Amino acid sequence: MRRIRILKTESFRSAALFATMFLILSWALLGVVYWIVNDTQTSALVGAIDADISTIKNGYREKGLSEAVEVVQQRLGSGDYAGTDLPGGYILLEDQANGRLAGNLRPLGLKLGLFSFPAPRHARHESKASVLGRGVYIADGVYLFVGRDTGQIVSTRVRILKAFAWIEGVSIVIAGLAGIFFSVQFMRRIDAITRTCQAIIAGRFNDRIPMRGSGDELDSLSIAINNMLDRIATLLDNLRQVSSDVAHDLRTPLTHLRNRLEDARQKSVTSDDYAAVVARAIEDTDHLLVIFAALLRISQIESGSRLAAFSPLSLTELLERIYEMYRPVAEDEHHVLVQDIQRDVHIRGDAELLTQLFSNLIENAIRHTQPGTRIRIGLTAEGGIAVASIEDNGPGIPPAEHDKIFRRFYRLTSSRSTPGNGLGLALAAAIVNLHNAKIDLSDARPGLRFQTSFERLP
Amino acid sequence: MNILLVEDDVELAHSMADHFRELGYSVNHCADGASGFSSACEADYQVIILDRMLPRLDGLTFVRKLRQRAVTTPVIYLTTMSGIDDRVQGLEAGGDDYLVKPFAFAELLARVRVLSRRPGNAHESTVRLAWGSIELDLLKRSVVRAGKNIDLLPQEFRLLEYFVRNPDRVLTRRMLLENVWGIHFDPQTSVVESHISRLRGKVNHGFEFDVIQTVRGTGYKFLAPN
Repeated sequence: MRRIRILKTESFRSAALFATMFLILSWALLGVVYWIVNDTQTSALVGAIDADISTIKNGYREKGLSEAVEVVQQRLGSGDYAGTDLPGGYILLEDQANGRLAGNLRPLGLKLGLFSFPAPRHARHESKASVLGRGVYIADGVYLFVGRDTGQIVSTRVRILKAFAWIEGVSIVIAGLAGIFFSVQFMRRIDAITRTCQAIIAGRFNDRIPMRGSGDELDSLSIAINNMLDRIATLLDNLRQVSSDVAHDLRTPLTHLRNRLEDARQKSVTSDDYAAVVARAIEDTDHLLVIFAALLRISQIESGSRLAAFSPLSLTELLERIYEMYRPVAEDEHHVLVQDIQRDVHIRGDAELLTQLFSNLIENAIRHTQPGTRIRIGLTAEGGIAVASIEDNGPGIPPAEHDKIFRRFYRLTSSRSTPGNGLGLALAAAIVNLHNAKIDLSDARPGLRFQTSFERLP
Repeated sequence: MNILLVEDDVELAHSMADHFRELGYSVNHCADGASGFSSACEADYQVIILDRMLPRLDGLTFVRKLRQRAVTTPVIYLTTMSGIDDRVQGLEAGGDDYLVKPFAFAELLARVRVLSRRPGNAHESTVRLAWGSIELDLLKRSVVRAGKNIDLLPQEFRLLEYFVRNPDRVLTRRMLLENVWGIHFDPQTSVVESHISRLRGKVNHGFEFDVIQTVRGTGYKFLAPN
């Protein structure tokens, strides 16, 4: 199965394609070389044959037949024709009337022109070579054939073919091996990605694709996929958290509501009793609706859709308005609300959400501290940063709880008795995140200090 | 007073219509946007109560088309779409008020009464407002009750201004938060109550008659001082 997969990979296919192209080109090259070499050698051979023919012809013309026979004998004795164990060439001088006059060939049937035929079998050697030669009449009735063994041409051809065969064979092997090597490499990494995906499908959401670190395109793809998985994991966690929170924290008030109604059905006698229960039931329902609204608002803020409504605004004026708004409330609750707000501090943001942010922080301070507590609204600008703070000198909260209080539905044990839904600070954190700002919680010694830092507009 | 109620939730619509009829209003109910729209164009209504998600013609388009035809009847949306953007969109389309479901009938009633009053019947001009013996100078931001000057903080002044503009009608806590402070969330502390008690103290100081009547469980009502 794996073998077939290797052959199907893209790298193997391209290796095969390139190898095929290389083979076709080298065959073309082979054809050209083969043709050129063959042509050159054949022309040289034919040139030598024609030279011998004219030498013999000249001898005959000048001194007659005996001279021609003499020249033929001479040529046959020379190195070109004699050869060590095989004749290098063949000559036949024939008289129509008397048959062979000289030469080392049997009569050929007076064939004229350039032709070739298998070399005569030699006693000691089984030659596969052929003879290429020319048959002419050098005079009336006098036939001459001069031919040469083509063994050399053949052996050159064979050498060329062998060389090409080697090169091509090695190339095919190399291409095949390279194709398999790259395919295996590629498949290993694809398999890693596939395995990660399957792990995630199987529920192991924390699995990530391993990196090779080479920075190639597969690595960048893996990085992108891993980042996407991180983002999805965050959203999923969030969603899981919210749904379990909703399931749990809405169940409690719903249980109360149901109990109350059931009690009323059993115990209520007068219409006043019923009226009281109905009034409480409506209150409970309203409380549930507040939780719903807060949850919806948090998720709406976290979706980032409010970013479009951001505009420059005066944080100074916004905090002054909030100060004016909460001063009487604090007074009625026997708290002291003071302000130290720097003038002309502008930021970019959503006025409605920022009002809710600071309202939540101030209301927390009012609701969770003893009467007589001093609450301070502060605004300073340090360089490019606008720092708005809400600080009280109340009991504060243990440092171990500092990180937890921004969680949804998280309520300190000490504040469980006061009304509230545990969503105020989660909402505050969501608003701060949307503004790309920072919220820090610190011990005001004594008390609690919330500090939010925004990018200040010039 | 004629009310057009366009709402596809029939149970809710009947309950609302019954409430309104008990109070002497005449209510015409349409269960889809298209029939509601033709009714709004033909008959004369003081207020249109409009669901935002309606079959055949959605609430936003309804209002846009209505305003294009120069029908100025006040529109209050009833909707489950509670997002900030949803509210802004609704008001930009030409709606006058926005109430998220579920709601208390008293809240709807208070808003309908305020809307149906427009244009106002208090003695209004651009700079002066008067109701009974109370006069507001909007430029100088000064208040006079029966010839006596009353010093108010800016937010108290705005609160009183809203009361004077909507006298003799129940104004709910949420209406005050929205219109005086521009706040569309539910504060967890008694913001409205604290300001009302201070305003009440200042406006009534030296007078017997309390101009701000508390309507239990609903809100406040501004009464004409004798």
